[in-house]
Parts: sequence; C-alpha cells; structure tokens
Amino acid sequence: MTEAHIPTFAPEVIGHIGSVSITNTMINAWIAMIIFLFFGLFLVKRIALRPGRLQNGCEYFLEGLFGYLDQVTGGRKETLRFLPIVGSVFFFILLSNWLGLIPGTGSITAGHAPLLRPANTDLNLTVAMALVSVIASHIFAFGTIGFFAHANKFIQIGTLVKAVKHGPIGIFTALVECMVGIIEIVGEMAKVVSLSLRLFGNIFAGEVLISVISSLVAFLVPAPFMLLELLVGLIQASVFAMLTTVYLTVATSAPHGAEQ
Amino acid sequence: MEEDLQIIEASGEAHETALSSLGINGQLFVFQLINFAMVAVIVWFLILRPLTKKMEERRALINDSLDKAKEVEAALAMSEIKFQERIDDAKAEANKIIEQAYGEARNLGDDMKGKAKREIQLLIDQAKRNIQIERDDAMQQVRAEAGTMIVASVKKILGEVLDEKKDKKIIDDVLTKI
Repeated sequence: MTEAHIPTFAPEVIGHIGSVSITNTMINAWIAMIIFLFFGLFLVKRIALRPGRLQNGCEYFLEGLFGYLDQVTGGRKETLRFLPIVGSVFFFILLSNWLGLIPGTGSITAGHAPLLRPANTDLNLTVAMALVSVIASHIFAFGTIGFFAHANKFIQIGTLVKAVKHGPIGIFTALVECMVGIIEIVGEMAKVVSLSLRLFGNIFAGEVLISVISSLVAFLVPAPFMLLELLVGLIQASVFAMLTTVYLTVATSAPHGAEQ
Repeated sequence: MEEDLQIIEASGEAHETALSSLGINGQLFVFQLINFAMVAVIVWFLILRPLTKKMEERRALINDSLDKAKEVEAALAMSEIKFQERIDDAKAEANKIIEQAYGEARNLGDDMKGKAKREIQLLIDQAKRNIQIERDDAMQQVRAEAGTMIVASVKKILGEVLDEKKDKKIIDDVLTKI
C-alpha cells in the first residue's frame, strides 16, 4: 500500500511562465486543446461529401447528439444555432474527463505535485464554462427576443408602469412580478454555481476515489472504478451540455404573456 | 465605526479565504477562460462547423435528388397518362377507320353485287337475243328447207316443172298454212 495522494481543491502549481502560474489542470486542458487541434486539422483535410470511416463515425456521433438536443430545442435549426457553445462544452468536458483516466494522471509528478490532473477538477475552469454558458444564453436571448423583452424578465419596470392603469390590484400583481424578477436574477447566479459545482464535484470526487483506490491496491482493483469514471465523464458532459441547451432554449423563448 | 470596518474587512477576508480554499483564483480563472475559449474556437471551426456544413450539403443534395426523382416520377406518370390517352385516341381512330372500312366494304360489295346482277342480266338478255336470233335463223332455214321440199314434192306429184311464179305462189301458200 502506497501513500495516498489526495488532490486538493485548488489545482497544484507546477511552474511559472514569467509571473503566470502554470497548474496541472491547465496542462490537461492544453493536452485536450492539442488533441482537438490535430484531430480537427486531420478531419478538415479529409472531409468530403462522400465520408470516410472517420468522418462517418463523427457524423454518426454528432447525429446522435443532435437527436438529444433537438428534443430540448424543439428543432434542428435551433440546435445548430446553439451548437458552437453546446458542442464545444460537451466535447471539451468529455475529453478532459476521459484524459483524467490515462495512465500517469496523478502519478507522474513534477516536484511534489502531480503533473497531470483532470481539467474539470479545477473550479476556475468549471466556473468559466458555466459563466460562458449562462452569459451566452443571455446574449442569444437579446438577439432573439430583443433587449427589452429579455431584460423585462428580470427588471420588470415596464410591467409596473403598465400596471398603474389597472388600479391597486394591478400594481400589487406587478410588484409581485418585480419580486419574481429579482428571484430570477438570483436564479441566474444559481445556474452558474450549480453548473460549475456539479461538474467540479463529480469529477473531483472521481479523482479522489481513484487516487485512494489506487493507493490501496494499484493492480486491477481500480479498473472498475475507472470504467465507472468513464461513464461519469460522459454523463457529466451530457448533463452540462443539456443544461446549457435548456438555459439557451428557455432564454430565447418569448416571456409569458408577451403574445397578449 | 472602526469596529464596523474591521468586521467588513474580516468578512471580506473570510470570503476570499473560502474562495481560495476552493481554488478560485482570479488569474487562473482568466487563463482557464482563455483556454476554454481557445478550445471552443478549435472545436467549432475545425470540427463541428466543417462536419455540420458537410452534413447540410449532403442533406441538401439528397433532398434535391429526391425532389428531382419526384419530378421525374411525376413526368413519367404524366407521360404514361399521355401515352394512354394517345393509345386510346389511336384505338378510337382505328375503330373509326375499321367501321368506315366495313361501311365502304359493304357499299362496295353492294355495288359489286348490283353490277354483277346487271352484267348477268345483260348476259341473259344477250343470250336471249342470241337464242331469238338463232331461232329466227333456224325458222328461216326451216322455211327455206320446207319450201325446197314442197317444191320438190309438188314436182314429183304433179310431174311438171313449175315456173318461178307458180313456185313462189305454192311455197307461200304452204308456208302460210304451216
């Protein structure tokens, strides 16, 4: 039995470039980036109307993903519109999670810290992605339903002004709606927190589990847990992508009563 | 006042410590944001966009082909209808021609029958006339023969030669009696 290296919440700094700290999660993110870059260049070179095996496999996978996304967005057109965000998030999270399972992650060290660590065990990255998803949903909403229509979901001054004509009950209803708007703002913050902490928590927990199991019995025993992590990686990528799609779809739909 | 400031500072520090303990760091956050942005750009421009573009192109091509196939099918159906119409017209025309031919044949037959009848009638008439002529000739010959025989008989009976005048008178008398 070896000494268990339990990862800390904060990613370990393994070096510096100038004043910039380089963490092991950044190394993992860069590896993912390089894999995507080479894969993309390779794919772009070979892409054709009559697909080869690689392109066919990619398209098959993409069609499957589109099928799920279509159920949320309600149509292929919307799915393709949200794809730059949703697709990037999904594939990046999936690859980052799976990269955490390659041999050497957590065991190869640079100084006292592991050289590699799954990118999503860094809350900075998960918060960044969650922020991008939520902010993108608002940008899409402004572009789709208009700035004031979307802003009125949160700051319902327009509703309050209109309610003056309907007397005390109307004003009371508008005040309630204003309060709901404030709750909506809190809800938007909660989205970022829930998205980032869910992903971080799941992947971090998996990393801790594998670290502990590997330190207890290094041979064969961690394999089922690694397979489980493979599944968790896919599920977490799907959950993040699906929730992003839901936020985008909800944000770009007209507010209640807009058609009246 | 100072106490309040100390409390605010302390709560701020506590907040910062909580975030730091979770690993949240402004500089790292910005770098991870940049990392994600770069990954998003690579994934979108090198993988997802070319793939979706190609898939859309293929879908458009298939849809076009299907539309064209439908057009060809419609044209074929139309051609079949026109072909059937032409066939029907041709059949009607053929029936008309056959009907006309039957009529003409019937008329021609009737004409030929009439003509044949007339010719037969002519032949019969001709034959009758010939018979009449032959009969007349025969009668003429019989009369001539009878005259000769009468003259010869009379000569024998009377034993005298009659002159031409008497001859003729006797012959005429006998012949009128015959």
